[in-house]
Amino acid sequence: MALACHVDRSETLRYLGYRGQELTEELEGRIDGVIERCERDLRPDGLFAVYPVSAPASPGALQEVPRLELAGANMVLEGASICEHLRGAREVALMAVTLGARSEQELRRLSALDPLEALVYDAACSSFVEAAADALEDEVVRYADACGMVTNGRFSPGYGDFPLEAQPSIVRTLRADIRLGLTVLPTHLLLPTKSITSVLGLFDVLPSRHEENEACASCALRATCEMRKRGVVCHGRTRT
Amino acid sequence: MGAREHKAQEISCRKSAPCAEGALDPLAGLSLKDDRLRAALEGRAYLVFDGAMGTMLQSRGLEAGELPELLNLAHPDEVTAIHRAYVEAGSDVVTTNTFGANARKLGDAASVDEVFAAAIQAARASGARYVAADIGPTGALLEPLGTLSFEEAYGLFKEQVVAAEHHGADLVLVETMADLLEAKAAVLAARENTNLPVFATMTFGEDGRTFLGTTPEIAATVLSGLGVQAVGINCSLGPDALAPLIERMAPFARCPLMVQANAGLPQIVEGRTVYGITPEDYAASVACMVEAGVSVIGGCCGTNPDYIRLLARLVEGRTPGARTAADALTVASSQRLVELACCRNDVAVIGERINPTGKKRLKEALRAGDYDYLIGEAVSQQEAGADILDVNVGLPELDEPVVLAEAVRRISAITPLPLQVDSSDVAAVEAAVRTYAGKPLINSVNGKRESLGTVLPVAKKYGCAVVGLTLDEDGIPSTAEGRYAIAERIVAEAERRGIPRCDVAIDCLVMAASTNQKEAREILRAVSLVKERLGVKTVLGVSNVSFGLPQRELVNATFLAAAFGAGLDLPILNPLSQRYMDTVSAYRVLNAQDEGAAGFIEAYAVWNDPYKAGAAGVSATGGSQGVTARDSGASAAVDDAKGAEEDDRSAEARARHAILTGRKADMTVLTEELLSQREPLSVINEVFIPVLDEVGAKFESGAFFLPQLMSSAEAVKVGFDVVKHASTSGAAVADKGTVALATVKGDIHDIGKNIVKMLLENYGYEVVDLGRDVDPQKVVDTVRERDIKLVGLSALMTTTVRGMEETIALLRQEVPDVTVFVGGAVLTPEYARMVGADYYAKDAAESARLAGEFFSGTA
Repeated sequence: MALACHVDRSETLRYLGYRGQELTEELEGRIDGVIERCERDLRPDGLFAVYPVSAPASPGALQEVPRLELAGANMVLEGASICEHLRGAREVALMAVTLGARSEQELRRLSALDPLEALVYDAACSSFVEAAADALEDEVVRYADACGMVTNGRFSPGYGDFPLEAQPSIVRTLRADIRLGLTVLPTHLLLPTKSITSVLGLFDVLPSRHEENEACASCALRATCEMRKRGVVCHGRTRT
Repeated sequence: MGAREHKAQEISCRKSAPCAEGALDPLAGLSLKDDRLRAALEGRAYLVFDGAMGTMLQSRGLEAGELPELLNLAHPDEVTAIHRAYVEAGSDVVTTNTFGANARKLGDAASVDEVFAAAIQAARASGARYVAADIGPTGALLEPLGTLSFEEAYGLFKEQVVAAEHHGADLVLVETMADLLEAKAAVLAARENTNLPVFATMTFGEDGRTFLGTTPEIAATVLSGLGVQAVGINCSLGPDALAPLIERMAPFARCPLMVQANAGLPQIVEGRTVYGITPEDYAASVACMVEAGVSVIGGCCGTNPDYIRLLARLVEGRTPGARTAADALTVASSQRLVELACCRNDVAVIGERINPTGKKRLKEALRAGDYDYLIGEAVSQQEAGADILDVNVGLPELDEPVVLAEAVRRISAITPLPLQVDSSDVAAVEAAVRTYAGKPLINSVNGKRESLGTVLPVAKKYGCAVVGLTLDEDGIPSTAEGRYAIAERIVAEAERRGIPRCDVAIDCLVMAASTNQKEAREILRAVSLVKERLGVKTVLGVSNVSFGLPQRELVNATFLAAAFGAGLDLPILNPLSQRYMDTVSAYRVLNAQDEGAAGFIEAYAVWNDPYKAGAAGVSATGGSQGVTARDSGASAAVDDAKGAEEDDRSAEARARHAILTGRKADMTVLTEELLSQREPLSVINEVFIPVLDEVGAKFESGAFFLPQLMSSAEAVKVGFDVVKHASTSGAAVADKGTVALATVKGDIHDIGKNIVKMLLENYGYEVVDLGRDVDPQKVVDTVRERDIKLVGLSALMTTTVRGMEETIALLRQEVPDVTVFVGGAVLTPEYARMVGADYYAKDAAESARLAGEFFSGTA
């Protein structure tokens, strides 16, 4: 589905490491031009599907990786963090968003011709795809609401010990390859690079343990994360 | 120029024969099951395919995400039951349950051969008249956007089609393709390894393009050019939304048209995807498409036997009407189509600048493998208004097949313009057109027996347009009639080999007016003869005419106008010459290509005529001119604002200011001024580098953020280029050492690496950029070949740091004297040590510092 959303200019600047430096008019104009082009040329697209939890975290041997099975999807979610994230969920939504091949083509073009604009375009796209994920998450929230449920934040492969290896199965289950043009590299990275897959829990009542920034707490990058140093997060929006 | 919509039936091209009609049996060599299939492939009979397989399997309990292809092995009866339901509904053809049955997707779960064997058997068991072997996309994105090579994709498809033929499929269906190049790989794999008829369909979005930007016109042009037996659209949208797309496709398809639409747009209901159109509405929409010329019909996602039953009823007892393809010369990239219809007089400009003849810098770039220079030439010609780009890399010391194919790949990754593949080496032409995502123009074939016998088969096989030169064993005839006679022979021979006459463009060969003055008019007459009598389009390399004369642009522009008058369609020229493009723009008013002269009025309403006294001499037309004008405008504004006081400061101070504020527009003039006062080396070492160090320090302290660092680097780059060009010793002026850079295998995020590259070049290092997703062996080979001592590797993700570790391990083993520095988002000094690197660079400025220390320490 098409997603109405915008590039967040200040977020884009934050991604670029901006901390109030004085900009020349020329540079500011170029940055704004790139952001405009990004919004004008790209059509964020996304889809989601909801599956009941069929087998909650199996109480196996101690060493065993916690896992959670979805009914009607040939998919097992593995890892302590995703199982914790979804503990108590009645249903699970899988979602995928992308800015499409056009974003990748433009990134390639700019990388060859104009590294500065490539950098800015990359940052603007990062903000844009996050906004697209927010917009799609709103759709999931709307769906959950209609069913009398509430959702928690989205959780993506690579957060905590939720492995990037989940990427291919999410794409396959959603048929996001055919329907969005998503592909997954052997290293489990998504292509187009400006794409996000996520998992959300749908609950009758939101468990109280879900805290803001829980993704940071279990993130492999927490030691080096530039964004955390600046007091912002890369995942989702600040939830109220 | 965009695609032009028109109805094939309305076109009448008095003087040209219809495309290749009756020349060759296009079905020759194919194994056709029966006459009914032959009739369908000749467009004389309808063919009804089946509907969705996945939807049916899911209704029988297949889970989302499961590999449906494995059911052929586990539950063949279930699969047969679905096929049978379609046969009972009236399908002539059932499609095997093998959409994702390639080695990449099956992995260890099953072999391609066993899945195809079981799938074809399950399909056969339904009693279907024909079994189509289903071939879906590989699931990986091809280079240059992705990491799968053309040959790897070809290999995956080859395995599938060979199994399909071996186990008795009647035809191959390549479907749901979004990438034209991937579709091409699949079609070629089927054509080269089997005798089965090939049907090919692509999938389009609501914007009328595939995910990768291909239009229906381009898909039809390229795929039917490759010789598929049916071309069309599947999946995508509902049939009503596909109708306008198939109408656009029709004039460009030289084979039957096929449609398999979804049962409407997918909607999410109760957390599941559903398709909403009823079988009745679906059939009504398909009926319209049948009227528009579609003769192969079926369904895709969301359809079931109820839909197919109505489709079968729709065409029962009917015979399709005759279709004619448009008579037009077409050339296409995956995203842009240039169409010169026979019944119109449109012209298209072929940019000539990517040709090393007489171009020192291009020769240097080609020898150094500097494809970025070629890309720069391509983009500047695109911005200046070229419609097609000629690509010629003919230097005796190069491995032309490898270099031409690589140049074509690199250029087409950056510019959407279709390409003219220019070489006298047939092997080079074939290597380049084979992996080209589109329909190129081959330059060239000529009247020599050997040329006709080697070039035309390549043009035919890959569905290319081809330029025919009017020369033969006896040289270039001096008369118009002599040139015409060769052109006639070339066109006849092309048609005999199944190449439609509209795919041939004739070059009557321009001679220098200074040496062959009388021939100039003969050339123009030859163009007219060829146009009138053969009805084909014409090409001329315009600038040869002025060789040996002063004011060549004036002579060329005059000849260009005369040639347009004589019927020239495709001038090969330098689009950066404003004078030529002025002639082109004006002529496009006269030939009615620029409708209502809207384009001309917009570009020239406020034009300063360079012939009028007092004119600024800067034209208002053209993209690149626009860029230049804007840049110089910006710089002028700066100069005005700062006024005379600035001029009092030394050139060095002003250069420093320009670099710190990232004003690259000022740098050319400033650097020239510096060069009038100092040695080139001193400009670099005593002006540029100290400012760069200052910029680096500001970045370090947080006074600058990354875009500021980079805009300073851009300014230095402009200055650097001026120094390089000015100094007689050329590039050697600042040869401080060579660094190889690569984003490691498995990783595709190369923004950071590109920034490092830019900064290192600023400091005077030669950078060998190996790109992204680089195989460790390639790093080793390059380092060895070019005797490089310092290597920088980047990796963005934790999963790809492994690739870094492997690359370093191989370097240590093979070239132990190499020093390695690494960088990337997930790396830390500890991590860098762990993967075996010598240094960790936390950012681009740090990389430049490391390189400085390294080369001063070892120099």
